[in-house]
Amino acid sequence: MAPKNRQSTPQQPPKLPTTTASQTPSKSQSKPSTSSSSSVRNTQDARQIAIGVWNNYIDATPQRVKLLDAFMVFLMAVGLLQFVYCVIAGNYPFNAFLSGFSATVGQFVLTASLRMQTNAENKAEFERISHERAFADYVFGSMILHFFCVNFIN
Amino acid sequence: MQLRILGLLTGLLGLVSALSAQGSKLVVILEEESEKSKYSQFWSDLQDRGFQITYRSPKDTDLSLFLHGEPAYSHLLILPPKSKGLGPQLTPNLLVDFVNQGSNILLALSSEQPVPSAISGLLQELDITLPADRNSVVVDHFNYDTKSADEKHDVLLLPSPKFSKSETKNFFSVDKLIAMPHAVGQVLGNPSPLLASVLNAPSTAYTYNPKEEGELEDVFATGSQISLVSAFQARNSARFTVLGSAEAMEDKWFDASVQSPGAGKKSEKTGNKEFIRKLSAWTFMELGVLRVGEIRHYLNEGAQKGASNRTDVEKLDIDPTIYRIKNDVHYSVEVSEWSNTAWIPFTTPAGDDLQLEFSMLSPFHRLNLKPSSSNGVSTTYTAEFKLPDQHGIFNFFVEYRRPFYTNVEEKRTVTVRHFAHDEWPRSFVISGAYPWIGGIWVTIAGWVAFVALWLYSAPSQPKRDLKASSAGKR
Repeated sequence: MAPKNRQSTPQQPPKLPTTTASQTPSKSQSKPSTSSSSSVRNTQDARQIAIGVWNNYIDATPQRVKLLDAFMVFLMAVGLLQFVYCVIAGNYPFNAFLSGFSATVGQFVLTASLRMQTNAENKAEFERISHERAFADYVFGSMILHFFCVNFIN
Repeated sequence: MQLRILGLLTGLLGLVSALSAQGSKLVVILEEESEKSKYSQFWSDLQDRGFQITYRSPKDTDLSLFLHGEPAYSHLLILPPKSKGLGPQLTPNLLVDFVNQGSNILLALSSEQPVPSAISGLLQELDITLPADRNSVVVDHFNYDTKSADEKHDVLLLPSPKFSKSETKNFFSVDKLIAMPHAVGQVLGNPSPLLASVLNAPSTAYTYNPKEEGELEDVFATGSQISLVSAFQARNSARFTVLGSAEAMEDKWFDASVQSPGAGKKSEKTGNKEFIRKLSAWTFMELGVLRVGEIRHYLNEGAQKGASNRTDVEKLDIDPTIYRIKNDVHYSVEVSEWSNTAWIPFTTPAGDDLQLEFSMLSPFHRLNLKPSSSNGVSTTYTAEFKLPDQHGIFNFFVEYRRPFYTNVEEKRTVTVRHFAHDEWPRSFVISGAYPWIGGIWVTIAGWVAFVALWLYSAPSQPKRDLKASSAGKR
């Protein structure tokens, strides 16, 4: 058996393994979700929906997943800036553009993988992989990526 | 020691004897010994110029142009034969072989005797056409000598040769009139870089057969279409000159006084002696012979820059076999010209240039070589340029083919490689790469911050649970 299952069994009944990963949001989860769903049904205001989604995200997402998301947004911004610069100023040292841009893209992909593996909602799929193992893989992969990019930019 | 003396002796001999760049052995083909005295001034002139003349009759059974498969003579002068042909030793095939092996021929024709078919066949191979009528002569009713040919108008008086292209070097100019008695007109075939007309007939000249009675019809050639002296220079630079009038070489015409028709024209001396001298000098390789001396090329950047002006030659890498794309390269070639007695520095005629091609199949560069320095013997032509952005096997190729000059064709093969991986500029040198360098480091810094935050924000509860649970399980 994977360690995830074992950790969850003593605390709560085995029916609800999903909520175990993060303790804090599990309490508040029920209240905002119901309110937002009702507001969607009642008012068709797009802004309301967006606010609802945002609030829902703020309330329902575990802390670490939020951290991952923030990092991914950051990477996307950096990558986009580099791409825009390439479009405007030309791609003259092309290897520099490739390594700079692919550093952000690669980091984004790695971070997305880490998010998949550590998200409590995907627990069923990755039950054999502990968070620590996933994080170690992530660090290892990232360092290889950085090494390659710094090497390639020459 | 012995070898050195031998070398000195042969060197001295060469200095004394040959004024030709090629060799001094000349064979003259003439049929009758009595003919010889007609040209005595020409022979003595040739002997003064260092030629060893052998006189042979085409009927001689032991006459052979070749000895052990090599040309036995450097030069051949054929005077018009009285008989129908030149015999078995001077067939067109043998004469073409003779030229192909690098020897020179001066062929004189005369309309006094019918031209043998062997000779017109030989000239046909060079794309020089003689009139089908074997007795035809060139006449001109406006440029004849009134003293000797008042009736027949078949002694032409011509001014010094001129060439339409100003950059063609004129080796044949004389300042007097040239008399061409009883000339056989030639017509040159398709424009060929090997063929050139030295002396054209005036525009009023035409060919006709004096033995034919009645009206003149079907003229073979007229005007300046007729070439009276034609020069052919083979691909191996061997020379073949056709002189339309053998009589022009005779003593009689060397300093005869002639008079053009028309009032007010005075009697004047012919310039035949000088013209024939120059024509034979050109044919026998005393003029217009080019020689390429030292060819050097080197990398003209970094420690090697300006290597030709430096004295520490042993430290330099001259004539390397490999270059890199976009290298700066210096190329120089020494060219000398043989002029009658000695090698002199060669200068291109005004309006003409010596060119260097840097080629791989097709030229990537074609540059004018500039004369940079000159010693007493040769001019050094140089070019400095940047190699193209293309790697492969390239040639430094100098090709200079001009009428009346021997061909220059010099090839030096080098490899041009691409940049080695450590020869590219580092990206921090290129300011355009700063945003991307920044992008990488921002990504890495962001990643480090993320890892720190991740580790810092580790949820404490599950860990304890994990430990407790695993401890409990085990």
